[in-house]
Amino acid sequence: MMKKNHITELIPEYLDGLLSESKKEEVRLHLKECELCLKELEEYKTIFNAFEEEKEVIPSERIRTNFFEQIEIEKQKKSKVVPLITSTSKKEKTFSYLLKVAASILLLVGGYSLGNYQQEQKGNYKIAQLQEKTQKIKQTAMLSLIGNKSASKRIQGVNYIDEFSNPDEAIVAALVDRMLYDENTNVRLTAVEALSNFITSEEVKNAFIKALKIEKAPAIQIIIIQVLVKIQEKKAIIPMKKLLEQNETQPFIKEQIKSSIINIV
Amino acid sequence: MNTLTDEDLMQKVSYGDLDMLKVLFERHHKHIFNFLYKMSGDKMLSEDLTQDVFYKVMQYRASYNNGKFVSWLFTIARNSLKTHYTRTKEQHDDIELEGHQLIEKQNNEQEEYSHLQIALNKLKTSDRELLILNRFQEIKYTELAEIKGSTPGAIKTKVNRALQKLRTIYFENI
Repeated sequence: MMKKNHITELIPEYLDGLLSESKKEEVRLHLKECELCLKELEEYKTIFNAFEEEKEVIPSERIRTNFFEQIEIEKQKKSKVVPLITSTSKKEKTFSYLLKVAASILLLVGGYSLGNYQQEQKGNYKIAQLQEKTQKIKQTAMLSLIGNKSASKRIQGVNYIDEFSNPDEAIVAALVDRMLYDENTNVRLTAVEALSNFITSEEVKNAFIKALKIEKAPAIQIIIIQVLVKIQEKKAIIPMKKLLEQNETQPFIKEQIKSSIINIV
Repeated sequence: MNTLTDEDLMQKVSYGDLDMLKVLFERHHKHIFNFLYKMSGDKMLSEDLTQDVFYKVMQYRASYNNGKFVSWLFTIARNSLKTHYTRTKEQHDDIELEGHQLIEKQNNEQEEYSHLQIALNKLKTSDRELLILNRFQEIKYTELAEIKGSTPGAIKTKVNRALQKLRTIYFENI
């Protein structure tokens, strides 16, 4: 004879019809003889009935509407295109639903392009930062080369100017310094050539006039004269006249001055 | 369309056919909602969480591993509910108690709970959950084991014990 707690374990499955035929038979036999188990069986029946009679609660319509909207938004995210009506696969019931979808698409596209724009801005900003950084590195390299003991390194440094579309004051000052005071003619020459590209700057202009006064090398004098004449710099007239008066000035320089001084007026 | 299994549909979703989510939603949202409602006793909360559950299905569609869809769905639902309770934990220190308190509060206001629901509310959360899933949602032991991270055998034992507790409570207060 089975113990009643064994049957207790089997009752739910017995009621659910999950037991094998032989087990079912065991339960049936036991129930005939055990009133306690029969009572339990009745109680379980009541409870299971209660479970079945428990009403299913219907959620509100809004969760369907909301979720279907989310699906549409997700689709947009995925394809990144803007079809006006994508939800034609199922004929949606109401116009208001379509309106909502349209509104959400608008919002999404708006949000997307805004995000895109901000991302771009951010990207641009980052690129700008990077560019600034490399610019700084180049500048440091250039300045250290310009300060080098070897003349060829100094020339190399001066030539670095090509890397800068818009050199800052430190660079210009360093170049001016080389143009005026470098002991090596070739370095001065390179500096003059480099600075001639920025002659429109007042600072560079004044430096050229100063260079014209102190420069002794004819090869450099002639370039300085050419550059200043080209921009019709009137302040250059006095130092040029002085050069004419000086004995050590090379004849071909005097020639150059005479022919070009007429052009400045 | 309706001949496809949940798993077939979810597979399509994971490959990008998002419209299939609508079919899955129609098939299951009432069950998820009722599970959450029975667990929390809060209709608005359950609606929000139901929506959240399906949103997560969409969001994590790529991580669907072709397992039983219902198990996956209810796992997400359980986690959503858990997360919700953890977030509101400050007001209610005992998560186990949370459900009861909510239900009792509403009970006083509406008094429309069945004798069964009242009895269920007196069970431990884990027991109540097992019975709600097993009896209301008709989730089989195999899937329950997947959801609860257990074995079908162990789950069957747990369900039976929970049923016995429920029976005692149910008939002592009738």
